[in-house]
Amino acid sequence: MHRTWKIASIVVAGMVVIALSGLANARDKKMDGQALFKEHCKVCHGADSDNGEYTPMTLIQDQWEEFFSDTYVDTHKDVVDTAHGGKKVTEVITPEMLEKIKKFAIDHAADSEHPMTCG
Amino acid sequence: MRTKQILLAVTVAGLLATPAVARKTYSHQKYFEHYEGTKTCLKCHKKQARTFFHSQHYQWKAEASNVVGAEGKKLGKINQINDYCTNPVPMWIGEYVTPEGKVVEEGCSKCHPGNGTLPGEELTDAEMENMDCLICHASGYRRGLYETEEGGWEWKPILWKNQVGLDSVSRRISLPTRTMCLRCHAASGGGANFKRGDLEYKQTDCDTDFDVHMASDGNDMQCIDCHAGEDHRIPGPGADIAGNEMPDRNIKCDNDDCHGTEPHGQAILDTHTKRVFCTACHIPVFAKENPTNMVRDWSKGIYSEEKGKHVYTATFEKEVKPVLRWWNGKTSHMQEAGKPVATNDRGEIMMAVPVGSKDDPGSRLFAFKEYHAVMPVLTEKRWLLPIRTGVFYVSGDMTDAVRQATSELYGLDNAEFDWMPTVHYMGLFHEVSPASQALGCLDCHSDGGRIDWAGLGYEGDPLLALFQKSH
Ligand code: HEC
Ligand code: HEC
Ligand code: HEC
Ligand code: HEC
Ligand code: HEC
Ligand code: HEC
Ligand code: HEC
Repeated sequence: MHRTWKIASIVVAGMVVIALSGLANARDKKMDGQALFKEHCKVCHGADSDNGEYTPMTLIQDQWEEFFSDTYVDTHKDVVDTAHGGKKVTEVITPEMLEKIKKFAIDHAADSEHPMTCG
Repeated sequence: MRTKQILLAVTVAGLLATPAVARKTYSHQKYFEHYEGTKTCLKCHKKQARTFFHSQHYQWKAEASNVVGAEGKKLGKINQINDYCTNPVPMWIGEYVTPEGKVVEEGCSKCHPGNGTLPGEELTDAEMENMDCLICHASGYRRGLYETEEGGWEWKPILWKNQVGLDSVSRRISLPTRTMCLRCHAASGGGANFKRGDLEYKQTDCDTDFDVHMASDGNDMQCIDCHAGEDHRIPGPGADIAGNEMPDRNIKCDNDDCHGTEPHGQAILDTHTKRVFCTACHIPVFAKENPTNMVRDWSKGIYSEEKGKHVYTATFEKEVKPVLRWWNGKTSHMQEAGKPVATNDRGEIMMAVPVGSKDDPGSRLFAFKEYHAVMPVLTEKRWLLPIRTGVFYVSGDMTDAVRQATSELYGLDNAEFDWMPTVHYMGLFHEVSPASQALGCLDCHSDGGRIDWAGLGYEGDPLLALFQKSH
C-alpha cells in the first residue's frame, strides 16, 4: 500500500516536471528560426555587443556552415546565458532549435538571395 | 557485350556519385588576395572601367536617336522627369528616417552602379573608384547605405566588416546573370515590379508558364542572351527609355537570328505578324507574380499605418491585360526637364508616347502597359517638377517635398505649382507565355474583345467586314 503510493507520487511528480518543462518548451517549439535567433543569439550579439555583432547577414553561408559544424560548441559550451536561467548556451538551445536557427542564418546570410537581420 | 554493360553501369554510377553540392569554380579565385574596392578590379580592368564610365548604365543618359525632336541630345533619368520617382538628382543619396526611427528612403542611387557620387562628365580617378563592378558581376553580392567619415553617404558591400566573407564574394565573378540584372530592374519605380510589370524577381528562378525564355526549367536564357552588347553598351531600350546606346543593334523577336518573321508555318498567323507584333498575342497578361503600379497620385498623400510612412495613393494590379498601340520604333514626349509639357485631348500630360498609326506601314501593334499618374507642374512655365520623395514619406508635407526638389534641380525657390494627370506607355517584352496560352482569334475578333478597333484607326473589325462582304 505504502509502496504503491510512493510510486504513484513519483510518477505524478515526474509528470508535473515534464509538463512544466513542456510548457517552457512549447514556446520555443512554436518559434521559427528568426524568432529563435532573436531570442537566443541576439541577446548576446546585438549591435555594439562586446561579443561581436552577429545577425544572419554578418557572415556568408560558408562561414555559417563552418560555425555551426566546427566552432559553435567550442565557443559557447562554457558561456552562461543569464537571460535564460543562467544555463549554458549549449544547454538552453536544443538540437532542434539549433537546426532552425542554422537554417534561418544560412537562408539569410550576406550572400543569400535575401540577406536579413533577425529584426 | 556483358562487360560493356557493366562498364556502362559503373560509369553511370560514377557520374551519379559526384557530390550533389559540387562547388562552382570561378576564374577569379586566385586573381587577388583581398578585395579593397573597385581599385582591386582596376589593376587588370582599366580598359573595361573606361568603357563602363561612358555607358548609359553609368551616365544615366545616352544619345536618343529614337526620340522625336531629340536629335544630337543625350537623354536619360538624369535630365528627364518621369511620373514614377520623378528625377534622381534631388533625391540622389541619404537616409530619410521617420520619427519612429524607420528608414523609408535611401535615394535613387540605390539603382546606380556606383558607390554614391553622381556620375560626372570627366573620367577621373575618383570616377574610376566610384564604379561598382560587383553589382553586375559578383554572385551573392549585396550592398548597403552607410555614413562616411565626412558625414556624407556611400554604398558599400554589407560585408565591409567581414574581409574573409567579402574576399569570397568578390571572387565569384562572371558575366551578369539574371539575378544580377534584376537586382535593379525588378524593383524599378520603388518596389517589386512597381514600374515595368514584366520584369520581376521571380525571373531569377521561374518556370515556363511564367516566362518561356528565362524559365530555369526551360530555355534558361540570361538577360544578356537577348541584350547582347559590347564594351558595356547594352542594346534594347524598348519604347519608353530615351537613351539608345546601340542604335545599330535593334533587338526584336522576329530578327533572323531569333524567330524570323514567319515562325508559325500557318498562313493566318504569319500574315498577322506584318501588322501585329509578336508580343500582342504572346504576352496575354503581365505582372504574373507581383502586382504592378497602374495609377500613382502624388497629389493625394495618406499616412499608411502598415508601412509606417506617408504614401501616395496608388492602384496595383496583377495579371493585367496589355493594351495595344501602334509603334514604329520612335517615341515622342520623353519629358526632358525644363521643357513645357504637352497634353492630349483628355488634358493628360503625355509621357513616352509610341509613334505610329494604322496608315504608317512601318508601324505594328505592340503590347503596352498603360500607366497613369498625377504630377506637380510649375504654374507659369508648365514644367514637370521633381519631388524629394523621402521628405514626403517622412513628413507628409508634399509642398515642401516638391519645393525642395525644385529648388535643387531648377534653382527656383517657393515654386507655385498645379497638379496634372499623366498617361505613360511602356512596352512589354518579357513574361512571354507558352504558345498554348497565346491569344486566340476571338480574343481580338469579337464584340468586347481586347481590341478597340476604332481607337486604332479601323472602321471596324476587319474580319467581320470580310464576312459581311462575302454574305
Ligand atoms: C550568453 C551569450 C551568448 C549567446 C546566447 C550566444 N553567444 Fe555567440 N558568442 C558569445 C561569446 C561570449 C562569444 C565569444 C566572443 C569572443 O570570444 O570574442 C561568442 C562568439 C560567437 C561567434 C563568433 C565565432 C566563434 O565561434 O567564435 C558567433 C558567429 C556567434 N557567437 C554566434 C552565435 C549564435 C548564432 C548564437 C545563437 C545560436 C549565439 N552566438 C549565442 C556569447 C553568446
Ligand atoms: C589579376 C588580374 C585581374 C583582376 C585583379 C581582376 N580580373 Fe577580371 N579578368 C582577368 C582576366 C585575365 C580575365 C579573362 C579570363 C578569365 O576570365 O579568367 C578576366 C575576366 C573578367 C570578366 C569576364 C568574365 C567572364 O566569365 O567572361 C569579368 C566580368 C571580370 N573579369 C571582372 C572583374 C572584376 C569585377 C574584378 C574585381 C573584383 C576583377 N575582374 C579583377 C583578370 C583580372
Ligand atoms: C550594369 C552592369 C555592369 C556593370 C556595373 C559592370 N559591367 Fe562589366 N559587363 C557587363 C555586361 C552586360 C557585359 C557583357 C557585354 C559586354 O561586354 O559589354 C560585361 C562584360 C565585362 C567584361 C568581359 C568583356 C570584356 O569587355 O572584356 C569585363 C572584364 C568586365 N565587364 C569588367 C567590368 C568592370 C571592371 C566593371 C567595373 C568598373 C564592370 N564590368 C561593371 C555589365 C556590367
Ligand atoms: C545598378 C542598377 C542596374 C543594374 C545592375 C542593371 N541595370 Fe539596366 N538600367 C538601370 C537603369 C537605372 C537604367 C536607365 C538608365 C537611363 O536613364 O537611361 C537601365 C537601363 C537598361 C536598359 C535600357 C537602356 C539600354 O542600355 O539599352 C536595358 C536594356 C537594361 N538596363 C538592361 C540591363 C541588363 C541586361 C542588366 C544586367 C547585365 C542590367 N540592365 C543591370 C539600372 C541597372
Ligand atoms: C528573349 C529575349 C529577352 C530576354 C531574355 C530579356 N529581354 Fe529585355 N527586352 C527584350 C526586347 C525584345 C526588348 C525591347 C527592345 C527594343 O525594342 O528596343 C527588351 C527591353 C528591355 C528593357 C527596356 C525597357 C522595356 O522593358 O521595354 C529592359 C530594361 C530590359 N529589357 C531588361 C531585361 C532584363 C533585366 C532581363 C533579364 C532579367 C531581360 N531584359 C531579358 C528581350 C529580352
Ligand atoms: C495573331 C496572334 C499571333 C501573333 C501576332 C504571333 N503569334 Fe506566335 N503563335 C500564336 C498562336 C495562337 C500560336 C499557337 C499555334 C498552335 O499551337 O498551333 C503561336 C505559336 C508560336 C510559336 C510556337 C510554335 C511551335 O511550333 O510551337 C512561336 C515560337 C511563336 N508563335 C512565335 C511568334 C513570333 C516570333 C511572333 C512575331 C513574329 C508571333 N509568334 C506572332 C499567335 C500569334
Ligand atoms: C492580337 C489580336 C488578334 C488576334 C489574336 C487575331 N487577330 Fe486577326 N487581325 C488582327 C488585326 C489588328 C488585324 C488587322 C491587320 C491589318 O490591319 O492588316 C487582323 C486581321 C485579320 C484578318 C484579315 C482581314 C482582312 O482585312 O484581310 C483575318 C482574316 C483575321 N484577322 C483572322 C484571324 C484569325 C482566324 C485569328 C485566329 C487564328 C486571328 N485573326 C487572331 C488582330 C488579331
